[in-house]
Amino acid sequence: MMYNFAIDPLLTGKVLWTPLLIVLLKVVVVFAVGLVATMLMVWFERKVIAGMQNRIGPNKAGPFGILQTLADGIKLFFKEDLIPERSDRFVFKLAPYLAFVPAFLTFAIIPLGGDFRGDNDGLVTWFGQQTRVQLADPPIGILFALAISSIAIYGIMLAGWSSGSKYPLLGSVRASAQMVSYEAALGLSVAAVVLVSGTLSTSGIVARQSSLGNWNVIVTGIVPFFIFMIAATAELNRPPFDLVEAEQELVGGFNTEYASLRFALFYLAEFMNTVTMSALIVTLFFGGPQPISVGSLTVDIPIIGNAFEGTIWLLLKVLVFLYIYVWFRATLPRFRYDQLMDLGWKVLIPASLGWFILLAAQRVGQDAGWDRYVVTIATVLILLVCYSLLALAQRTSENERKRDGVMF
Amino acid sequence: MGLFVFVCAAAMVLVGAVGVVTRNNPVHAALSLVLTLFGIAVLFVANNAHFLAAVQVIVYAGAIVVLFLFVIMLLGVDQAEDLSLEPLTVQRPLALVVSIGVTGVIIAAVLKSQDALFARGTGIDSATLQDADANIRQLSRSIFTDYVFAFEVTSVLLLIAVVGTVVMSRRQHGQHVEESV
Amino acid sequence: MFAALFSVFVTAADWVSPSIDYHALAPEIILAGGVVVVLLLDLFTSENNKWMLGPVTSFTLLGSFIPILTLALSDSGTRSLFDGRYVVDNFSLTMKGLFVLAGYLVVLLSSDYLREGDFYEGEYWILMLSSLLGMVMMASSRDLVSIFVSLEFLSIPAYMMAAWRKRDLRSNEAGVKYFLLGVFASALMLYGMSLLYGISNSTLLTDIGKYVSGEMSAVRAVAILFVVVGFAFKISAVPFHTWAPDTYEGAPTPVTAFLSVASKAAGFVALLTVVYVGFPNASEVWQPVFWIFAALTMTVGNVMALRQTNIVRMLAYSSISQGGFILMPLAIAGEGDSAGAALRAVVTYLLVYAATNLGVFAVVIAVSHKTRSGAISSYGGLFSYAPGLAIVMTIFMASLAGIPPLGGWIGKFGSFQALVSAGTTWGYALAVIGAVNTVIAFGYYGNVMREMWMRPVPDGDTTHVVVPSAITVALGLTTFATLLMGILPGLVLHFGDLANLAGAFGG
Repeated sequence: MMYNFAIDPLLTGKVLWTPLLIVLLKVVVVFAVGLVATMLMVWFERKVIAGMQNRIGPNKAGPFGILQTLADGIKLFFKEDLIPERSDRFVFKLAPYLAFVPAFLTFAIIPLGGDFRGDNDGLVTWFGQQTRVQLADPPIGILFALAISSIAIYGIMLAGWSSGSKYPLLGSVRASAQMVSYEAALGLSVAAVVLVSGTLSTSGIVARQSSLGNWNVIVTGIVPFFIFMIAATAELNRPPFDLVEAEQELVGGFNTEYASLRFALFYLAEFMNTVTMSALIVTLFFGGPQPISVGSLTVDIPIIGNAFEGTIWLLLKVLVFLYIYVWFRATLPRFRYDQLMDLGWKVLIPASLGWFILLAAQRVGQDAGWDRYVVTIATVLILLVCYSLLALAQRTSENERKRDGVMF
Repeated sequence: MGLFVFVCAAAMVLVGAVGVVTRNNPVHAALSLVLTLFGIAVLFVANNAHFLAAVQVIVYAGAIVVLFLFVIMLLGVDQAEDLSLEPLTVQRPLALVVSIGVTGVIIAAVLKSQDALFARGTGIDSATLQDADANIRQLSRSIFTDYVFAFEVTSVLLLIAVVGTVVMSRRQHGQHVEESV
Repeated sequence: MFAALFSVFVTAADWVSPSIDYHALAPEIILAGGVVVVLLLDLFTSENNKWMLGPVTSFTLLGSFIPILTLALSDSGTRSLFDGRYVVDNFSLTMKGLFVLAGYLVVLLSSDYLREGDFYEGEYWILMLSSLLGMVMMASSRDLVSIFVSLEFLSIPAYMMAAWRKRDLRSNEAGVKYFLLGVFASALMLYGMSLLYGISNSTLLTDIGKYVSGEMSAVRAVAILFVVVGFAFKISAVPFHTWAPDTYEGAPTPVTAFLSVASKAAGFVALLTVVYVGFPNASEVWQPVFWIFAALTMTVGNVMALRQTNIVRMLAYSSISQGGFILMPLAIAGEGDSAGAALRAVVTYLLVYAATNLGVFAVVIAVSHKTRSGAISSYGGLFSYAPGLAIVMTIFMASLAGIPPLGGWIGKFGSFQALVSAGTTWGYALAVIGAVNTVIAFGYYGNVMREMWMRPVPDGDTTHVVVPSAITVALGLTTFATLLMGILPGLVLHFGDLANLAGAFGG
């Protein structure tokens, strides 16, 4: 039986040693890049927050304290590894890996570079083999990322439950409710991108964003990007959505009972996820490794080959979002739990759904040759009616709750 | 390679399925269910059904079992239940006999008529397979043409399920125990 | 404005949207619209105006009956949608009419019941409408996917309706048992369906029919068996009937009426479609199965019904045994040309049974309104203080027992005729079993009649039974139908004239 490995042009046809070695090399490089990026991210976050709060931040280990994470890691490594007596031992040991592995898996589908100019389609030639600067490019690309992000819940959920104590359990229940709630908004805003791109594959999505005007953030009309950004922050359990580890209420949240290497894994996974999510935002909305170009004018970095230039562009763009995430953490106060749920269910999901319908109507109108403005106005009117119904329903149910004396 | 993937995935599915039934702790049973669902997703990938595999993971492993776990944790039923009490003592041996019988019948049937199953297994033709999106396109096309009515009506079904769930779980004031007619 | 932003869409060149015959789908669309309208009305009306949801529901049902009529009267013949996956023919129109009218009667039965019990009104109507939508879909479905979707569609609301009285333990039990066994049956059926798909590489029943033929390989037999068993749960055929008595007893009485008539009829419709369109050439597999089901179902249902003292439980077993009678003709449907006769017999029986059984439940609801009891003995002396109800109940009981010239007699007659016309030993044997069971059935139907006419009133309370107007209308309609179908059998046989179940037997 013939299997189709469409995930990489290397793997079509007969599998030979050279391509196999290239793939192995890519695996190692992606893993190493992921780890180093995470390490630097931890340092970056501490340093930037320190700057924002008029502190100095880590400055002892290495130049600018850049080795601080490494030092912390070594310290954690030698700490006592303890397992609470009332814990469920098997699940307790399993949970950190369930959090750590998905964080790395998402990295596999992000185009980390490559030459998307002209008809190159992101392909580069290494050692006489055509390949992508991306570990895997499955046809379902972006769905893979969604699948992995839905798996990531397990680590947190099981960690809290298996600890056998109250606060972690509460933290993990909060986390899973939050992640499940925001996944819908996340998925719907991704759907908007998929609608305009016509493909699920991440390299295909990047290839479509050849110039600044073609970036999905503009093509989809900004709203999906904002929704994705907010939902992603909630998905990551980062401030202002970090109710999972609200210190004042839950001690340390789901990982209260963890120590040593297992704690390090959770810590790593959290920052790794931040990096991956930023890379995903860049891939989906900001052209991934594509250089910034307006019309025929392209900002080109000289000397460096086009494929690696892509990597530099990606790095720069990701850095912007990492900075924004840190900025969030430094400035925004934490949401209350009901505010969190209200925002997710009553604002983000309807908004992303409505925007998706608007885009889809444009699409149908384009296919049918209808007047664009008529379509837009009609859709907006219908959506307004739907929104007023929704608002009315919310008011009615609120009144009913008040009348029944149920307050929540 | 194909056989190896199949054996591994099938082992995952079976081990998970047995685990769901035999584990006393509901959380462990739910985790075994995740194992089974993942095995099925792998089987989908091995058959080039990438989209189904992704949906399998997103919907089943990522949403449904998470909700199971959520309920188990919130209700605090994560302890083993005493199942030694049995009102009808013949039930269990009988269930065992019937299940072994049915399993035997199915295995025998599948073994005896492999040709009938293989003869039709054309699936996606290899020409369209070269296009990476072929599977997704084919799926969406059949959903929005041949199966469009069933597909659209399913959305109403989901709405009804939500309405019903709210009704069943909602607390209402002034309710008292009713004698049934 | 921002419309200029959406400039770069990828075009799918060869996409053609499916053409849809909206006239053929009109009943379904009206029902789905009704669900939404009732949902919104329930949300935005105040507590005092909630009564209007019942009438809105019944208008929706009557509204969806209009396109069924126009479709039946239009001479465009069979309409086939989505490549033959959804077919509107005489058979499906007859059954759709049955479902919608049965739903209308259940609405009549429910309205006062709900108002008195302070149950959640709006959601009840929504669930009932959606369950009916599933049934209406089921009548037209001709492929595995739509059959499965409609089966879930009609079952899921029914599970919740069975557990409607949340504070009543027995209602909870009813819902949970129904749900668990229903889901189990769905799983069995899905397994069978997956095997069928594996054999034929198609979900279309007509395609499956081509592959499920010739010499029967074991896997085909297993596939057919699983699908049939899945539906056997739905129609509560013995030995898959265990949920029925508890569910019928625990559920609110109008819901029981709904389950025992509409839901059961939907199961039969699905069974007929699958067997006639999907497995017409595999009769050596399903004929013995149906023979055993029919014989067991009639006998066990009857024998258990004899021992009951609660009227609803008795009716539950009675409806099980009636299911056996309806199944009878299917046991010979593959013999020679008896397929048409069998189909006619089943459909006729379903129509008659629906009218009669709904009538019985209308009486039960009316009487329990006064006596507040479900015991058969509480019907003692009913004739002395509520002669109207007693007479009507007698008509229904006699019809269920199969006494001419009432509707039930036509149904039984058709079944036996079909059995005998096949001319096989097995057919004759089943006819004999059926005849014996008909006699047994007189036992418990006669018992109720004896209570009503000959026994004294148990507590001497001979105040009048106040029958709400909605139930009076329901009683009038069902009595009229029961009598009419008995006196003018030609009418119902006309409806049952369905030699052309589209796609069946290659036709």
